[in-house]
Amino acid sequence: MAASFVSKCSRGDCSLFRGLGTNVSNLLSTATRMTWSNFLSQHQRTFIQMRTVLKVVDNSGAKKVMCIQPLKGRKGARLGDTIIASVKEAAPNGKVKKGAVVRGVVVRAAMQRGRCDGSEVKFDDNAVVIIDKQGQPVGSRVFGPVPHELRKKKHVKILALAEHIA
Amino acid sequence: MRLEKCWFCSSTVYPGHGIQFVRNDAKIFRFCRSKCHKNFKMKRNPRKVKWTKAYRRLHGKDMTQDTTFEFERKRNRPERYDRNLAENTLKAIKKIDKVRSDRAASHIEKRLKVRKDKERREAQKELEQSIHLVKAPQVLRQDQSLTLPKIKVEVSQPKSEKNQAMEE
Repeated sequence: MAASFVSKCSRGDCSLFRGLGTNVSNLLSTATRMTWSNFLSQHQRTFIQMRTVLKVVDNSGAKKVMCIQPLKGRKGARLGDTIIASVKEAAPNGKVKKGAVVRGVVVRAAMQRGRCDGSEVKFDDNAVVIIDKQGQPVGSRVFGPVPHELRKKKHVKILALAEHIA
Repeated sequence: MRLEKCWFCSSTVYPGHGIQFVRNDAKIFRFCRSKCHKNFKMKRNPRKVKWTKAYRRLHGKDMTQDTTFEFERKRNRPERYDRNLAENTLKAIKKIDKVRSDRAASHIEKRLKVRKDKERREAQKELEQSIHLVKAPQVLRQDQSLTLPKIKVEVSQPKSEKNQAMEE
């Protein structure tokens, strides 16, 4: 729109208006860029990367963990990947204490992940289940839905404990 | 392999298409395309969006009750493969589809017929009530008071403004 306005100005011989026209076009373009960035920040979901805070959905005692290292992927972890995390909030008498460094499997991610048939799946929030070095879950229960892709990642125990499989 | 229905527009979601959103209470929302997903994210009600099946059903645009809908149903028991049965099913699909499309067309025709009848009746009534306003062309030619008088108007020569602008 701004470009067409400028071109109209330059076609007609109006040197007086030319400066004003460029000013207006500049203003317009900055405004559109700002709204676009707002739109992106609201809706774009990204990888689970360093400093991402995730909910813990098992009864290991931890409530919230912060990702400090995704173990796979250059950009970060996605649904089903393993991360190393530090426990930020924990229940008073659980197995996992606050400040501990633990491993966890991302069982729910708000960013969509492709499935084997080409469709995609996404969840409400970012959630993790804490596992030990051998890959066994620390807690004995898993809350909420988990994706069936965990079977491919050899986390059959989590699938067996889960309430719902999506 | 299962053909699911889109949550928003109720169209069929074929394998490998669309996106599914799993809410924290494990309810799964399947969408056939990004258009439906975006409309869901905008919290639109499919009953109020005109192009969805839900709207059309609710407002009587499409037929809602039909015996042909009974064939398309979610069955949780897998059928054992039988060659003859599969052959017959494939034949029946075409036939049933034809029956359904014919019935849908007749339903729409029936729906539109009501308004057409109403329009025709109103036109008939108007014709009867106000036929006296219409004059025959022969009468108009004879009686000058019924037509507007003819006036001659001088037309000034249009100046060529375009050429002047081009020269500048």
